[in-house]
Amino acid sequence: MSTEPSPRGHLPVVEPPVNPDTAPYWRGAAEGRLVLPRCDRCGFVIWYPREFCPECAATEVTWFEATGRGTVYSFTVTRRAHGAWGEVAPFVIAYVELTEGPRVLTNIVGIDPDDDRLAIGLEVTAVWEPTPEGQGILRFAPT
Amino acid sequence: MALITLAGRPRTGGRRPGRSGRIPDAPEIGFENQWGLSIPANYALAARRHMHEFGTTSAQLAEIKVAASIHASHNPHAFLPKRVTVEEVLDSPMVSDPLHRLDCCVITDGGGAVVVVSPGVAADLERTTVKVLGHGEAPKHTTGGRPDLTFTGARWSGPAAFAEAGVTPDDIDYVSIYDSFTITVLETLEDLGFCPKGEGGRFVADGTLVAPHGRLPFNTDGGGLCNNHPANRGGMTKIIEAVRQLRGEANPGTQVPDCRLALAHGTGGALSTRMGSATLILGQEDS
Repeated sequence: MSTEPSPRGHLPVVEPPVNPDTAPYWRGAAEGRLVLPRCDRCGFVIWYPREFCPECAATEVTWFEATGRGTVYSFTVTRRAHGAWGEVAPFVIAYVELTEGPRVLTNIVGIDPDDDRLAIGLEVTAVWEPTPEGQGILRFAPT
Repeated sequence: MALITLAGRPRTGGRRPGRSGRIPDAPEIGFENQWGLSIPANYALAARRHMHEFGTTSAQLAEIKVAASIHASHNPHAFLPKRVTVEEVLDSPMVSDPLHRLDCCVITDGGGAVVVVSPGVAADLERTTVKVLGHGEAPKHTTGGRPDLTFTGARWSGPAAFAEAGVTPDDIDYVSIYDSFTITVLETLEDLGFCPKGEGGRFVADGTLVAPHGRLPFNTDGGGLCNNHPANRGGMTKIIEAVRQLRGEANPGTQVPDCRLALAHGTGGALSTRMGSATLILGQEDS
């Protein structure tokens, strides 16, 4: 498990809500592993992670460890923000398209927000930031 | 008979911009509230992707703000009545790139109402009425984690409204398009069929949206970008300005000549996560 701070400082951490539907994901996250559900019927990799397939409505899924790799589908450098986020601006919000298919909202860290390499298509890898209560927050850094 | 109202005081009521819009009990909220996602950032993600796929530019988005500001300059009640140029939009501070401050709508108090009556009641009214010809509404969500940020729910609500009204985009004389950000207008115009998907940037250039003589005058009150945005929503004011156009009561300088068919479109939620879209087609009394 690695934690990559943004070059301009740590991003705020929000303690995630965990419920029975999403618990397998969070158990993986706490160990720095990206664990996702795959539909047993149609094979769709489901996001957000839950034991229900939005593609075919099946409720049988198998949780598996994903690669944690993907590419930037879109991103924005937020320069004005409120509260704790305002203090760390500029910071990067992105949709990352995982190798397994889902597009997940996240932050891109480990790269200066003004770095020209930050672009759609940039290859990224999951990094996990621990929360005070022992959960893991999924962010991505350039591969 | 139905009375439909909207009012809110986000400006004096202390509801700060940029924080609202998330649905705290949406089941996926734990996967959306970790990243500092403001409302401008939510729309910026869509703008960036649209630029990537279609070559849309910040200058093209700015044309939408410029048109709104020209209209606002005719509106004595507009919150931002000053005309701006493309360069001024591009030079305004970056909020969440590629969206500048002047790509963002205003935060204002305000409100409005419409009364909807049966044809029988309408016939007895002294005031000029307009006719509801068609409507459509549609949700859009993150589709199992495969959101496409280049279109809105207008892709579905628009065709439903046009089909019910029995008209096409070419027939429309005036549009009110919800304009939380410039990108909201651009994607919505494409989705409603006023231009092909991806052509919005070129479509809005060259004064297309400017009343009274542009090809498709829009938001002649100045819209959310320059006039008002009560309760952080825009659907009601969009309907009201469309009714003004059909009655011939728009502000001098912005009245579309012989405006017979108008479209009003509202968007709720946010462009990069979940949204609802609603399209209304209105006609003059005798249409």
